[in-house]
Order: sequence, then structure tokens, then C-alpha cells
Amino acid sequence: MSQHTDRTEDVMSNKNDGGKRSARERMQAERAKQEAAARKRRQLTVILAALVVIAAAVVIGIVVQNGRSSSYNAAADAPAGTVGNTRLLIPVGGTTAPSTVTIYEDPRCPACEQFETGMKSTINQLLAQGKIQIQYHIASFIDRHDGGKGSKNAANALACAQNVGLFHNYHDVLYANQPDETNDAWADKTILISLAKQVPGLDSPAFESCVNNNTYGSWVTAVQSDFDKSGYNSTPTVLLNGTSAYSTYNGEDISPANFTKWVDTANKGKPLASIPSASAQALASPTAHNNLPASAGAGHS
Amino acid sequence: MVAWIGTAVRIGLAVVWAWAGLAKISDPQAAAQAVRVYRILPESLVKPFGYGLPFLELALALLLLVGLGTRIAAVISGVLLLVYIGSIASVWARGISIDCGCFGGGGAVAASKTQYWQEILRDCGFLLLSGWLIWRPKTRLSLDGWLTA
Repeated sequence: MSQHTDRTEDVMSNKNDGGKRSARERMQAERAKQEAAARKRRQLTVILAALVVIAAAVVIGIVVQNGRSSSYNAAADAPAGTVGNTRLLIPVGGTTAPSTVTIYEDPRCPACEQFETGMKSTINQLLAQGKIQIQYHIASFIDRHDGGKGSKNAANALACAQNVGLFHNYHDVLYANQPDETNDAWADKTILISLAKQVPGLDSPAFESCVNNNTYGSWVTAVQSDFDKSGYNSTPTVLLNGTSAYSTYNGEDISPANFTKWVDTANKGKPLASIPSASAQALASPTAHNNLPASAGAGHS
Repeated sequence: MVAWIGTAVRIGLAVVWAWAGLAKISDPQAAAQAVRVYRILPESLVKPFGYGLPFLELALALLLLVGLGTRIAAVISGVLLLVYIGSIASVWARGISIDCGCFGGGGAVAASKTQYWQEILRDCGFLLLSGWLIWRPKTRLSLDGWLTA
């Protein structure tokens, strides 16, 4: 009996215990579930916060950088005498010349200096004969590659010279005095100004303030941006009537003789431009500004 | 111990992203050109990516540095690195010669000056760091740890 009773009590107490335990377990399970849910919420909040930080940074970044990229207005910001849709090109020579030579050059580019040193007498002769006109794109990407400001400063100074009609002479003086590519000498604007003294009539208070104030900075940026989008990716890029002529044209290497031949072939049967005889003589003279001896920097590539 | 390794990995990856991002913000035009020369995106998307990617990198650097949302930051880092590796491989396969512009610079270079192998290997190294943090996002000295304590 007592056994029975005991057993009954046992069963009963067991039942009771089981009931309590399952209630406790339920509570624990419920609490765990709530904690898991809370943890999940915290995790989601953290992820959301991280995504918000990222999205905000990207949006702010795009807006800020958009605002910083200079706005270029062709009518107000281009130097006088520039041509093209947005006035990014500097023309040299008679505009009625039958062949157009397009030249992309960076002031700090050593290969451009070699091209100029090797070809400028020929090119100046062809200009003087009215056979070609040149359209210069003054790029300034070497500042990015090698660091520095020399290309941009020089490009701006060239624009200042263009504004007073002395681009070509100054261009030739700069290439004749080009520093080594990795030497950012033209970060110092006084050097650009002192080189301008080699071009009669160029150095003036207006020119100096143009160089010092980076007056054509937004034009310089716009020209480089145009070069970036052109698909051409090195300087010098030289086109003869739109066809690449550097360093080969129709399978022939560029040389003074070949270049003259290519131009003559392209010009066959077309009238030449007439240019004032004084400027023609100046261009053709071997002692002209543009026929200075090669600089010490030549040969570096 | 694992949590401390995680802290080192997290800060290491943060430094990489900060360096990469900062190097690209001073010249927006150069950053856009670095994107353009991959010849993957249409011109209309070149500037948004060129301008925006450095700030994405800086945001990841910030999140990793303070340890906020470490796992999601590591996941995004990993995806970004896979995109970079894929882009470099694509350029390489198409025979285009560029600098990856990973840490500033970028643009066309002479064919002899490309460094695709090194660039991809380097990014794979960074990918390993991201992988570690995806696997073990709990690290010491993190906002995550403090917020969920």
C-alpha cells in the first residue's frame, strides 16, 4: 500500500516536476527566441547602418567630385584664335592648306620633344609652303603619370601665348628647353616666364599674370578631357588628314623625307594655301626661333 | 586569439582601402580616365564610377577601422575585389595596356609596363583578408562587439 502510495506520489510528483520543467523550458525557449530576435534586429540594424554609411559616402563623393571638375565654357574660357566645336584646338598655318596635320602633345613628353626636334624644320617648311595646317591638342596627362604640375602649367602658358598669337614660337622654345620627364621643373612658373623672353614680344605683365593665375586652367582641363575620350592614349599622336602618321604611315617610318612625300601625295592636284611671305620666310629660315638646337634632354624616352 | 587576428586583418584591410581611396580623390578627371581606359563601362557611367568608387573604398575603410558591420563590409570588399580582379583580367585578355589605377594613377601605359600578374595577385591577397573577416567577423576593439555585448 505504502509502496503503491509512494509510487502514486512518485508519479504525481513526477508529473508535477515535468509540468514545472516544461513551463521553465518554455520560458527559457521563449526568452532565447526573444534574444535571438533581438540579436537579429541588432545585426540588421548594424548592416543597415553600414549600408547607409556606404551609400551616403558614394553619393556625397559623386556630387562633390562633380562640383570640383571644372566647368568649361568655350565662349569665355578658351584663348583667342582657338578652333573646333568647343575651341580646344590651336591652329597653326594657312587655314586653306590642303592637308591638316593633327598633333597631340604633352609639354613634358620626351617622345614629343624627339618628334619636334627631328621634324620641326620639315613641318615648318611645309607650313611655309602652304601645304599643311596644324591643329595642336595640348594634353597634360604626364602630371598624373609622374606627379607634378609642369604639364598643366606649361599648357596654360601655351594658351596664354596663343591668346596673343605667339603660340607656335613659344611651343618651339618650350620643346627646345624641355626638362627630363621626371624633373617637374615647370612646376615653377618663373621658368616658363623666363623662357617666354626668348620669344620676341611675348613677355609682358599680362602674359605673366596669365601664367601665374592659371588663367586658362579650365581650358587645359577640357583639352585633356577631350584627349582622354579620343581613344588615343599616348603622345605624340600625329594624324595626317585623320590617318595616324606616327610613328608609321602606310607601313613607312616617319622621317623628314617620308613625311614630305606623304603630304605631297595627299595634296596631289589640290591648291596650296597662301601665307604671308614674311611669316613664310621666318618659318623657312634655319636660324628662326623654331630651329633652335636640340636641348640636352633629347634622347631620353 | 582568433578575435585578435581578426582585429589585425580588419585594420589591415581598412588601411588598404583608405590608401586606395585617398589616392584617387585629388584628381577626379584622372580617376574617371582610370575607369574609362578599361573600356568596360559606357561613357555615361565612367564619371559616376570614377568619382564614386574612391568614396566606396573610403567608406569600407571607415567601417572596417571602427568595426561596424564587419561582415557586410567584408562581403562588399570581397565583391569589389572580385570585380577589380575580373576587370583587370578582362583588360589583359583583350590586349589593352593600362595601369590598373588601383592606388591612384591609371590610364594607358606602354605594353612593356603592364603589371597584370602583380595587380591580380595583390588583389587576391586582399581577397583573402576579406574572406577571413566574412568567416570570422567577431573581432576585438570593434563597434560590433560593443553594440552586441
